Amino acid sequence: MFGRFKKSTARRSPAHHTIGIPRALDFYLYPALWETFLRELGMDVVVSSPTSRRTVEQAGLISESEHCLPVKLFDAHLAELAEHAGLIFVPRILSAFPGHIACPKLGALPDCARAQVPPAVQIISVDIDEARVPLAQSLAELGQLLNAAPAAIRQAAGCALSALQAARTEEAAPSKAGGLHFLIIGHPYNLNDAYLAGPVFDRLDRLGVRAERVSFADREVPPEPLKWDVCSLIYNRLRDLSSAEWDGVIHLSSFNCGCDSIAGTLYHDVLREKRLPCMTLVLDEHAGQAGVDTRLEAFVDSIREQHEHAQTRH
Amino acid sequence: MPRLAIEPWGNYSLALAASVECLKVIPWTHTCTTPEILRLGVAASPEFSCLSFKVTTGHFIKAAMEGVEYGVMVNSRGPCRLRYYRMLQQKLLAERGFNLFIFGLGYDGIKPPLIRHFDPKMKDFLDCCFRARLKVVTIDELEKAAWTRRAVEQRPGDTTRVMNRCLQALDQARTVPEIRAFRKTIPARFHAVAANPDRRPLKVALLGEATILRNSFLNHNIEELLGGLGAEVRNFFLLGDEMRNIFNVGLWSKNGRAAMRKLAKPYLGTSVGGHALTSVAHTIRCAQEGYDGVIHVAPAGCMPEVSIRPILRKISQDLDIPVFECSFDEHTSQVGMVTRLEAFVDVLAERRRKPGSQVI
Repeated sequence: MFGRFKKSTARRSPAHHTIGIPRALDFYLYPALWETFLRELGMDVVVSSPTSRRTVEQAGLISESEHCLPVKLFDAHLAELAEHAGLIFVPRILSAFPGHIACPKLGALPDCARAQVPPAVQIISVDIDEARVPLAQSLAELGQLLNAAPAAIRQAAGCALSALQAARTEEAAPSKAGGLHFLIIGHPYNLNDAYLAGPVFDRLDRLGVRAERVSFADREVPPEPLKWDVCSLIYNRLRDLSSAEWDGVIHLSSFNCGCDSIAGTLYHDVLREKRLPCMTLVLDEHAGQAGVDTRLEAFVDSIREQHEHAQTRH
Repeated sequence: MPRLAIEPWGNYSLALAASVECLKVIPWTHTCTTPEILRLGVAASPEFSCLSFKVTTGHFIKAAMEGVEYGVMVNSRGPCRLRYYRMLQQKLLAERGFNLFIFGLGYDGIKPPLIRHFDPKMKDFLDCCFRARLKVVTIDELEKAAWTRRAVEQRPGDTTRVMNRCLQALDQARTVPEIRAFRKTIPARFHAVAANPDRRPLKVALLGEATILRNSFLNHNIEELLGGLGAEVRNFFLLGDEMRNIFNVGLWSKNGRAAMRKLAKPYLGTSVGGHALTSVAHTIRCAQEGYDGVIHVAPAGCMPEVSIRPILRKISQDLDIPVFECSFDEHTSQVGMVTRLEAFVDVLAERRRKPGSQVI
């Protein structure tokens, strides 16, 4: 009996195993966390290559046609990793902020991933439910799943959590001074994917606009009226926004995003009360750059026009 | 007497209308949506919201236009959009200058605001609930009888005619003895429909999102279409079963939550939201019980149902059961539906004929 017990607790160190992380969804929801944690445990971490034209095309081909764009991209990143990694990490995110719930699509993600990869590829997952379980504890569970030693897990979790905090603060760093001051809101996986949001930021930069991403560093917000984590945070940020400090808001949404279909109307209501102009840009796999540019130029022009009008009147 | 708009629940609307009698209100409801209601809902709703939202919003707007004072809408605590329906509908109504107040139902204490507001006598209330439950169970029975008979009827449309007559009779039955007496006549009524004894109908399961499954206008009469093609339908949304789940009475039953979770476990480790988990579990069960095929029904872009589609595809491969995924929005056409269903039923019939096929 004791022999069996001993055998089951014998640890095989996770060191030098290769593990893949898709560069989509949870990768952006918890920036730097997963790579740092797994690397600190001594694993070889492979992150799928950044989203490109090819990824988007592949996503359109292999993914369920009614998924939202980020989930389609996830499927493409997963397929890329499945070609050369035997082990892929996909967390089940049930709640990313205390007191909130996550988008239901993220809950089914590891199961969907298992249904889509070849049988030889193993999907490793851990439940992230920050409404009930602190993140550090979930990381410890993940470490145990990978058969790491408790001391190593504690040390890796510490590094990973501070890397997460640093990455979240850095993401929201204001860009260089300019004329108009815009807040860009949206899910982190839309805002921080260079292929999706990069052209928008570049164009705004060229138009002389100081564009700032909404910050996800401070996550203490009440779960009212929205219970979805990211949406609730954005809503509360918009409620505290001062019209004197900001000139406009751009909502980067993705096609078929269920959360944004409800939350988007509430964002617009709050901003209408504050008399802050807001534009929603819906990203999909067919979006043409020229169309996005035209809409951004028109939006910026109309706000400049409005400002000039207001100045001449005074 | 004030009027109360109840969201449409297909044939179950009759039972729900009976359940509010004790509140001293006149129920305002439909068993089926009209094109006008859909148009109103689509015009008012956010572009990317699901068809279920658009249609319930349309109902409340139509009710408000007719001067109805109150409405009732189910509450939800899950991660699906249903959670925000009532809040958003109330906002959309207010923006259009309507005064309809929507009560939530569920998850708000033992005495919900709806009951607190109208404050019926305890005896009347319990009486009414009992009667409504009896009606719901009777409608379950009617539906089941119609699915079986329609697949073998000799003259197309006979079963539907009997069904409609039954629903009218049930609507007129006001007391418990009357409903019980009517319930006893159900088998005989459907037996009277001339049947073709040689036909061996295909068994097709309908599962997915409840609003679309129950609203024959939105699903383009999918049950009748399939019945007409000679398929015996089993719609997995029966309000009687569902009610047991809501009150956790059927905790240990075959369709109880625990049983569903256990069945779905190898493929899905979380409840996702909405009816996603039961969709997965029922697909597995249908494969085990020898159904010929499964039709997964959802509004286009439904958050929980769409997210499990890759899993359904995997189950279809692993357990060798055809799954037809069907999404509905306001542009879905009746003709398109007919063509796709015909093709699907042809595939199923062909599988039966295939030599060595395990399906009998």
